Amino acid sequence: MASVRTQKEIRQRAPLWLVALLLLNFIVMAVDARDADGQQQIFRIWTQTFASPLQNASSKASGATTGFFQQIWNFRSAAQENEQLKQRVSALETELNNARQAEAENARLKSLLSLNEQIQINSVPARVIARDPSVWFNTITINRGSTSGIAVNMPVVTGGGIVGRVITVSPFAAQVMLITDEKAGAGAVVGQLGQSGALGSVRGRADLGVGIIEMRYVSGLEKVEVNDTVMTTGQDGIYPPGLNVGRVVDVKNGTATQAHQILIQPGAQLDHLEEVAVLLYRPPQRSAPQETLPNVEKPGK
Amino acid sequence: MPPLKLAAILIISIALQLTLRMVWPPLVYIDFPLVVIVYIALQREAWQALVVATLAGLIVDAQSGALIGAGGFSKTLTAYVIYFAATKVNLENPLLRIPVLAAATVLDSLIFVLSHRLFGYPPTVPVVQTISYKLIATTVVGTLVLYLIDSIIAERSSQRRQFATRRRVARRSTGSLRRR
Repeated sequence: MASVRTQKEIRQRAPLWLVALLLLNFIVMAVDARDADGQQQIFRIWTQTFASPLQNASSKASGATTGFFQQIWNFRSAAQENEQLKQRVSALETELNNARQAEAENARLKSLLSLNEQIQINSVPARVIARDPSVWFNTITINRGSTSGIAVNMPVVTGGGIVGRVITVSPFAAQVMLITDEKAGAGAVVGQLGQSGALGSVRGRADLGVGIIEMRYVSGLEKVEVNDTVMTTGQDGIYPPGLNVGRVVDVKNGTATQAHQILIQPGAQLDHLEEVAVLLYRPPQRSAPQETLPNVEKPGK
Repeated sequence: MPPLKLAAILIISIALQLTLRMVWPPLVYIDFPLVVIVYIALQREAWQALVVATLAGLIVDAQSGALIGAGGFSKTLTAYVIYFAATKVNLENPLLRIPVLAAATVLDSLIFVLSHRLFGYPPTVPVVQTISYKLIATTVVGTLVLYLIDSIIAERSSQRRQFATRRRVARRSTGSLRRR
């Protein structure tokens, strides 16, 4: 009888619970939406702090699992040959795979190092330990956080080009919004900085997917061609000028009154990111208008 | 469902959701926490389903680029809808769980996308295509996961029930012997 009453009570109270929890979620959502471009959410930092060791371990485990299955595959393909050759081949293949992986990693790290030398900005190398657990967005989590000097809005790059910017930092991990996100953006120029006037901004577009970004606001009077390189201008206050963004893969020419429609393939392989570098870059502070413009009424006067 | 078991299943589902994308990217289309929520809601555990939905949604949101609260909102509402349906219609049949799981996936995704649009943060992937993939992956894998959870929990609970019956029978028989 008591259990029946409890069930009844639960059934009666369920709508109240529903309304309360929906309200809570809605408020959290509203607060997050308001602060999404500025401060980072404390809840995000906490969960990232707790989840990063798990993600770190799974990242290593996934590498081991891939290696394991690769070995199984190698053994299976060598089964047609005799036992001795099979062992020899599999051992050699494993060695070769390891060597190739090491070589590829070496090349990636070298390109990061050379990038560091080119742009003369200190950087922190980091490993991608997780990707967005939801299907709707494209953020990545890296294994370096505030203890390594990383802060919000710092640019993240690879040897190929820009990757995105840091949006949340916990002590030992950071979340990075990829340049292909609709909310991301970067000031860019088609061609070499200082030589070309084809200035605009790049950002992601949902219908284009992860592999392509679009460039907007490039004057239709500027000459833009397929395979032209796109570089950052530094005007966005996040990315330093002169970094590679990617190359033009499609142009619909504009007119004097209409901008070009340009699609760009990012230089960084955003689908296969493993190592990245976080540039410890602070954009130069812009002077406030009231201090520089003589005709603006200054506060307090 | 016992709270410890519930917490364990919830933690495992969230851990899978957070880590499996690194193993093989298409695995992200399987919504493990949603499967657990559907299971609890089908057991007509309203309070547990709602709280688990909110918690799972908030944690996954915090680890993704989504607005914190959007996943919690969509999962909580989905949990209630399924709980409500389960109280009105008998959904105990394992075959009926397949359409329920599919409906839950679509409903959750639609609420999630709409709440993001409401706040001016549209998702960065094509919506219809993503919902389709998610529907297929979550329904197929979710059906197996539901069967697995059911077999683990139901088997143990039936064992417990059997033991309890045996104990009761044993007590009765010893009682009657004492009286004699």
